[in-house]
Amino acid sequence: MNAVVLPVLLPLLTAVGLLLWGRPSPSRRMLAAGSSAVQLGLAVGLVVRLAEGGWFILPVGRWAVPYGIVLSIDLLAALMLTLSGLTSLACLIYGFFELPVRWEHPLRMPLVQFLVMGINLAFITGDLFNLFVAFEVMLISSYALLTLEADNWDIKQAYPYIAVNLVGSALFLAAAGLVYALTGTLNYSELAQVTAGMSSDPRLLAVVLLLMVVFALKAGVFPLYHWLPNSYPTLPLPLAALYAGMLTKVGIYVIFRMLTTVLPHDLAFVHGLLAWMAGLTMLLGVLGAISRNYIRGILSFHILSQVGFMILAIGLFTPLSLAAAVVYIVHHIVVKSSLFLLGGIVLVLNKTDDLDRGANLWRVTPWVGVLFLAQAMSLAGLPPLSGFWGKYLILVAGLELKEYVLVGVSLVASVLTLFSMLKIWLGPFWREDDSVTVQVNDARWRPMAAVVTALTAISLMIGFGVEGVVRLAQQATATAMDQQGYALAVQKILAEVGAKGLNP
Amino acid sequence: MQLDTSILVGVLFACGTFLILQRSFVKILFGFIILSNAVNLLILAMSGEPSRKLAPLMTGEPGARVDPLPQALILTAIVIGFGVTAYLVVLLYRLFLDHQTTNAADLYDPSKPPEDPS
Repeated sequence: MNAVVLPVLLPLLTAVGLLLWGRPSPSRRMLAAGSSAVQLGLAVGLVVRLAEGGWFILPVGRWAVPYGIVLSIDLLAALMLTLSGLTSLACLIYGFFELPVRWEHPLRMPLVQFLVMGINLAFITGDLFNLFVAFEVMLISSYALLTLEADNWDIKQAYPYIAVNLVGSALFLAAAGLVYALTGTLNYSELAQVTAGMSSDPRLLAVVLLLMVVFALKAGVFPLYHWLPNSYPTLPLPLAALYAGMLTKVGIYVIFRMLTTVLPHDLAFVHGLLAWMAGLTMLLGVLGAISRNYIRGILSFHILSQVGFMILAIGLFTPLSLAAAVVYIVHHIVVKSSLFLLGGIVLVLNKTDDLDRGANLWRVTPWVGVLFLAQAMSLAGLPPLSGFWGKYLILVAGLELKEYVLVGVSLVASVLTLFSMLKIWLGPFWREDDSVTVQVNDARWRPMAAVVTALTAISLMIGFGVEGVVRLAQQATATAMDQQGYALAVQKILAEVGAKGLNP
Repeated sequence: MQLDTSILVGVLFACGTFLILQRSFVKILFGFIILSNAVNLLILAMSGEPSRKLAPLMTGEPGARVDPLPQALILTAIVIGFGVTAYLVVLLYRLFLDHQTTNAADLYDPSKPPEDPS
């Protein structure tokens, strides 16, 4: 199944094509958007074909495990690819309307494609070291984008982001080396077989904890999130939306993948630790959000709070809670990106996203207010919007396990989320102040709002068609947890292609 | 060999961690360089005791060979580490040009009037 490589190959070729194209022009933009649209279509096709379970597996170069790398797509990976295609397409088109082509930095589009390539590779890889490479591709592009158009204040905020992630990369590399020493392989399916009986082995526990530190750092879990909330607001808004939607979710996806597909399922200590870290993350994240006074800052802290919900769902580790985590990821990526994009519209209309200086938006541009309300209430988790269902499933799973404290913490965090969203609402949207003018004559905001309308429609569809989403999530979880089936599928495909090793 | 390498890795990790916890960004950069070398050595040590083993070349000679996979991994890691270090040096230079300092204590000093955040 050679098409497995396409989600990585397409962005790579597009990035190279964009670099060769030269100066920004409308046709260059069309190439970037067209490529993202093709990636989205491809990913949707994969979801349709994998909806009943199964794997598409490609042993790259026909090398046998462990010398070669296996790329594999299951339903979970296909769902994530769809979301990355959707987010990057929406953010690209929004960016085209936000920034006139003559002001566009020539490296921005190629770097976005490299970023998407790293994200997609992290989703489809079946090898721990290849995952490291995917992370590096993603991180190096993200460093470059973060500092590409930065002024001297932004640069100051970027340094902690880069320094912290560099340490994370070094630890990841060390963990990968230790995993190889312990098990003799880095391939997911072989790792699953070797570690199957080792769940009480302290060496495995140590390595797993090291890996969890690395991935929790990427995801932004409690003691390791300091790099995030100050660096994201410095990005140009369309890029901030892409980062907010996808980057931390790569960390969450990898934690999910490790705990379900790769590691034994009875690591109760790790699961419990994750759940409690998640509880602290959601509470401290939302408190940080309340402390901020501008939209981008509030939303950046909210990423952390929401990460807490997803990690809590993974930490509870029942089939229901894992499915809830998938539902929540799907909901969160769409909602979070569109909220950031709405922040950009506020920035265009009010010339500021400071809560005290913006006003009048509800009176002058009610449609933007409607979009914001829909997405903000979804983030806070009001029924029947998409966020409610994710939270509902997590709470049910938590109550089944009698984790009353964690359930209580998540309810408190939800109420505080609602409070901070109302804080945004009462600032630029609801407040009336005749000294503040709304730049309705700025032609940019209408097409920008149209992009957000499309995302909001998708988010509403997730909310109202939640039954189908939950069914997909359950199937994705079941496939991801089926270690035996995955190992058999990998062995079958290796035998079929006649994989070659070093000692024939 | 194994013991020497592990002691060296330990010392390098300690030095790297110490440097990364300093306030000067230049020291943090050096700390990162040392740390990435420590990690590369760690992976190299994972290929096992190398003495009395042949290099992993297809020469047709009989005998045990060193595990080639960690070496391949390090090669990738060195290239990535080199690229990132180069980027970090340029970023540091930019930071110095903008702020005339590379000391975190001066850069993030809350008592100084903040530059315009917008």
